[in-house]
Amino acid sequence: MLEQFASIFGSVEFYAAIMRVTTPLLLAAMGGLLAERAGIVTFSMEAMILMGAIGGVVGSGLTGNVWLGLLVAILFGMLIGLVYALMAVTVGANQIVTSVALNLGALGLSSILYNSIFAQAGGEVVQEVIRVPSLSTWKIPLLGDIPILGNIFFNHLPLVYVAFLLVPVVWFVLFRTTWGLKIRAVGEHPHAADTVGISVVGVRYTTILIAGALAGLAGAFLSIGQLNGFQENISAGRGFIAYTAIVFGKWQPLGVFLGTLLFGLANALQLRIQALNLNIPYQFLVAFPYLVTLIVLVLAVGKASWPAASGTAFKREGK
Amino acid sequence: MKTLWDKFNQRLLERSFNILIPLGAILLAFFVSGLLILVRGGNPLEAYAALFTGAFGSPNAIATTMTRLTPLLFTGLAVAFGYRSGFFNIGAEGQLYLGAIAVTWIGTTLTNWPWYLLLPACILSAMLVGALWASIPGILKARRGFNEVLTTLLMNYLALQFFEWVIRVDHVNPAVDQKWTFVNWIGLKDVTQPFPKSAFIAQAAQLPTLSGVVQSPMFSFLQGSDFYNYIVNTPAYQRFSLSFLIAVAAAVIIYLLLFKTTQGYRCRAVGVNPIAARFMGINIGRTTVTTALISGALAGLAGAMEVMGSQYRVIPGFLVNAGFDGIPVALIGQLHPLGAILSALFFGALRAGANKMQVVAGIPTAMILVIQALAILFAVAGTTIDVRSLLRRKSITKSDAPTAEEVPNA
Repeated sequence: MLEQFASIFGSVEFYAAIMRVTTPLLLAAMGGLLAERAGIVTFSMEAMILMGAIGGVVGSGLTGNVWLGLLVAILFGMLIGLVYALMAVTVGANQIVTSVALNLGALGLSSILYNSIFAQAGGEVVQEVIRVPSLSTWKIPLLGDIPILGNIFFNHLPLVYVAFLLVPVVWFVLFRTTWGLKIRAVGEHPHAADTVGISVVGVRYTTILIAGALAGLAGAFLSIGQLNGFQENISAGRGFIAYTAIVFGKWQPLGVFLGTLLFGLANALQLRIQALNLNIPYQFLVAFPYLVTLIVLVLAVGKASWPAASGTAFKREGK
Repeated sequence: MKTLWDKFNQRLLERSFNILIPLGAILLAFFVSGLLILVRGGNPLEAYAALFTGAFGSPNAIATTMTRLTPLLFTGLAVAFGYRSGFFNIGAEGQLYLGAIAVTWIGTTLTNWPWYLLLPACILSAMLVGALWASIPGILKARRGFNEVLTTLLMNYLALQFFEWVIRVDHVNPAVDQKWTFVNWIGLKDVTQPFPKSAFIAQAAQLPTLSGVVQSPMFSFLQGSDFYNYIVNTPAYQRFSLSFLIAVAAAVIIYLLLFKTTQGYRCRAVGVNPIAARFMGINIGRTTVTTALISGALAGLAGAMEVMGSQYRVIPGFLVNAGFDGIPVALIGQLHPLGAILSALFFGALRAGANKMQVVAGIPTAMILVIQALAILFAVAGTTIDVRSLLRRKSITKSDAPTAEEVPNA
């Protein structure tokens, strides 16, 4: 049994799988991090991913062009972002409550959209996955030819590279640009930010829309990247995991990255162990990544320090 | 000018709920969903008529609605009580499944117990298991400030997978030659069945139905009357379970607990503003753990009532999402225990009527998810805007300390 475990860690495919499993989480979490830093709770990423997934299939299936599929995925993700921003920023409603509603609505809406467009006459529920044109892997020239490392890091779907490149990009935006400073100011002390002329509403809308776009891409990765089609609830809680990763990483890009990587690693590992056909109940393996995340969260990460204005609606005084 | 303290007390003493907001939100949700149905080329009126008959059109439909309502009311109460007391319990789903496991285990193992011992044992075990599971995030929050949304969410996955495993492990059955091991001691699957299902729980552990009550010796004077014959000969009344009444009673008890007891006062004070509550001398940590225990026990009861009053056993995918749906039930019920009854009725009716809507009007059952989502959005928007305009009218500027609702992570 030990030898079999060792064989997992010796296989190139395992490390490539970690990259793939981590990608959708990372895409969503990096966008979510920007909005979180602006004081918005991104519990609604599940809805954004789900709508992105159906958007990808709709765009790609109707036009036959994968890139248009990606575009529609981004737009659908941003649409949820827009509704969320309206509720959370303009109306000032409770953000977790609004997120719960959006997650529920996206579950219904994606299923209705899929059945309306792809089902045969009579609105029958489709059992088989309908294949639509999908993304193909893009091997990076030269780097992809490096033995072992090439197959682990440089032979993936394009969105995998986007996801991993987002980590330094988001770090740079947050900590090395004026706009990043504004985002953090809005998240820590919106009233002070408002006083010095930063548009709190503008920053929050923009970051939520970016989160929507990236979570939409995460959904597209699942649908027109991995499955080549759509199935009900395809996101399967990945939005919640991305949210957990943000808390896990204490709102630091590197920490959030490690959070998604930990879950990706645990998930890739349990998928490999399943393939070994050992005498471990399947359900325990499925629960494994969640258990690891919970334990590490409780034991290693400790008390989280939220952006001070997290989850609060902003309203100018004296109106 | 009201002081901060006055405002705190005002919100603490608020015990009514505005029924117009959820009603308006539900109507608006139906209207917008109707537009969506029109776009799909369907007839909204026909769809809603089918939905309504599917939920209330016959004794059988009403029985289905009540069966769907019962677990939703319990999880709705679990969420509403938790939320009011500053503990946002997203984990009702997991607590519910564990409660169902406990009841099924006791109901299929202690089969020789008399009903007056077995019924309380089942109910108490479900409450205990749900409460213990919820106490983990409760203690983590009280001791180390962990956000309960995150921990309860993650723990759902663990409980769900445990459930999926346990119903696939053979349960010890004296009639079949089996060795006792720890694994099959904990298992629930009926060994005589090819599929992962538990055995039915003992008759004594099943809650009486309306038809059963009428036939009991206590009501022997009814025998032979038209009423008796009607009830006994209509199969639907075998499905009117006592679990519905227990759920309504639970809502009333939670209302009394929350608004008429000292413990309820403490819980609400922590929910409104933990900092102010601490100044009142309330032990925040202890109150949080108590809240988690009560909320978890209510969610555990949701699973118990489904097993004892409706399905009498557990199967895979049993009560899908009833735990998560407790959140919208609580929210549309304005986080009020009595509001939750009406809101659970709305949700139960949607679920009961969805199939008929699909068969008669060709509208996918997923439409009810959209209706629910819109209803919550409108209800939340309604509540927020309403409160604001009220504040403005009384010319209170918002320069005071934030309330707990505004600082969910405090």
